[in-house]
Amino acid sequence: MAVELLRESFEIQGRNFDKAGEVSGEIKVILRDLGIDAANLRRLVVVAFEGEMNVVMYANRGTLTLILTDEDVNLEILDEGPGIPDIELALQEGYSTASDEMREMGFGFGMGLPNMKKNSDELRIESEVGKGTSVFAKIKLNSNV
Amino acid sequence: MSELKHGFKIDAEKCNGRMHCMRACPAHAIRVKNGKAHVISELCIDCGSCLGACPTGAITATTIKFAELDRYKFKVAVASPALFSQFGMKDTPAQVGRALLDVGFDAVWEYAVDIDLINRAIMDCVKSWPGPFPLISNSCPVIVRLVQVAYPSMLEHLIPVEAPREIAGRELKRRYSQQLSLKPEEIAAIYITPCQAKTISILQPAEESKSYLDGAVAIKEIYNELLSKMRKMTGLGDTPEGLPSSGELLHWGAPEGEFPKLSREHYLPLTGLMDVIKVLDDIEKGKIRNIEFLECHACQGGCIGGNLTVENLYNARSKNLHLLANMPKPGPEFEKEVERRYAGEDFSLRGSVKPRRTEGEVIDLRERVGRRKRADELLKALPLLNCGLCGAPTCKNHAEDVAAGRADLGDCVFLSLHRIDVLRTFYKK
Repeated sequence: MAVELLRESFEIQGRNFDKAGEVSGEIKVILRDLGIDAANLRRLVVVAFEGEMNVVMYANRGTLTLILTDEDVNLEILDEGPGIPDIELALQEGYSTASDEMREMGFGFGMGLPNMKKNSDELRIESEVGKGTSVFAKIKLNSNV
Repeated sequence: MSELKHGFKIDAEKCNGRMHCMRACPAHAIRVKNGKAHVISELCIDCGSCLGACPTGAITATTIKFAELDRYKFKVAVASPALFSQFGMKDTPAQVGRALLDVGFDAVWEYAVDIDLINRAIMDCVKSWPGPFPLISNSCPVIVRLVQVAYPSMLEHLIPVEAPREIAGRELKRRYSQQLSLKPEEIAAIYITPCQAKTISILQPAEESKSYLDGAVAIKEIYNELLSKMRKMTGLGDTPEGLPSSGELLHWGAPEGEFPKLSREHYLPLTGLMDVIKVLDDIEKGKIRNIEFLECHACQGGCIGGNLTVENLYNARSKNLHLLANMPKPGPEFEKEVERRYAGEDFSLRGSVKPRRTEGEVIDLRERVGRRKRADELLKALPLLNCGLCGAPTCKNHAEDVAAGRADLGDCVFLSLHRIDVLRTFYKK
């Protein structure tokens, strides 16, 4: 059974593109300074950033919680957003419901969730339309860490 | 890995502990304890910000003095293109080249060829690179160290091609040892450097190989002597051994970027450490998608803005643009030499660049998390004023130092008034 070592939560402001990416930046610094190896760090940053961006783009607010155990790193992203009606569809590359405005800012190419799936060892999505979405991502640490 | 070295040293005699360096250091690598500055080696990226900040001149580059070169039988100068931008509008690169011979170098290397070769090698590498993109240039030693320390997940973005100064060192040793029947170690390959960072890439290359260069002489160090030789020169100075200002030479280290042939849509030249950090942050998150090659220089304005140059950046830039505008087209001889060497030499980086452990000793994840939690707790007791009187640049650094066992919490004046009396003993007039 994995032993929890660290748990920290961060608020994400929805629709605030100015601050977008700050939370994943903080998470990266924490994990880097804790000596998480380079390959896992790269995957974690991508998962955290895409998760954060989904909240920024679609929700009013959300939280990202980092849970580090002696075996893995978990990211829990909970938001109060519109929810995802068809999770299967949302996980397909290129599928996007982003507005033109979001695309103009360089987001919303339908790569967010697929990218998160690709870069994590386990990805679980729970969503209720009109209420919000919860994304749980797990990245396993190498046994030699 | 052996003990980390740096391209500068702090003279404890001259250091009066006024903390200018500590406040200037972007890596928060300097501490001032007992009235003296010292560097936490594994955090330092050799950017050289501390050198210019010290009012007493206690921090100096570990460049070499010209007199130290006497032990070599044959001394060859490899001049950074930045050197040519340091003189008057009428002073030509050929005159600068001759002045280098006049001050005692036995030869001035035709560095333009090596720069063209590496330009080609880099463009070929970018074209055939499978990813991840963007590739990041590695000719600035500070950038390589920044990635090692702050962006370990991006090490595989560093372009695996040697810097042109290394290729120049390799080829000049080969050629002169053949021509003059000397051993390679009897020939000195000396880089005329615009910054102290090049010395660390010679002393201790990040890729853990051995440099082909033997040392670096600062532009500042030989500037006056070069200038006086140039002022005594009659005529324009015949080009010594064909030192043309041709090829891509003058683009290197200049703020407009080293690759005028690459499309600006996919190629981004960046200068200045803070700007580089902003862009690397975005790349790490996967935010920048259409850039193939990122040319990064830690100094504002590139190498012509290096901390061992003499001329201010904007004058140097104007001179550089003037030289570029008047640069002759490379002759057929030059092109032929580039072709010949490109076909016969390997330009791929020897060795690989690994992440740098910043924890000092290797400890397990549990202990590292423990330290972080202790530091967070300790920070709550600190005033968050970042006054620096504890000897660390910020309260956060102080909390981390205490958690890592490097400092006493009581070094903070807010926690022990007695600390002022201790400081008085170091800073009394």
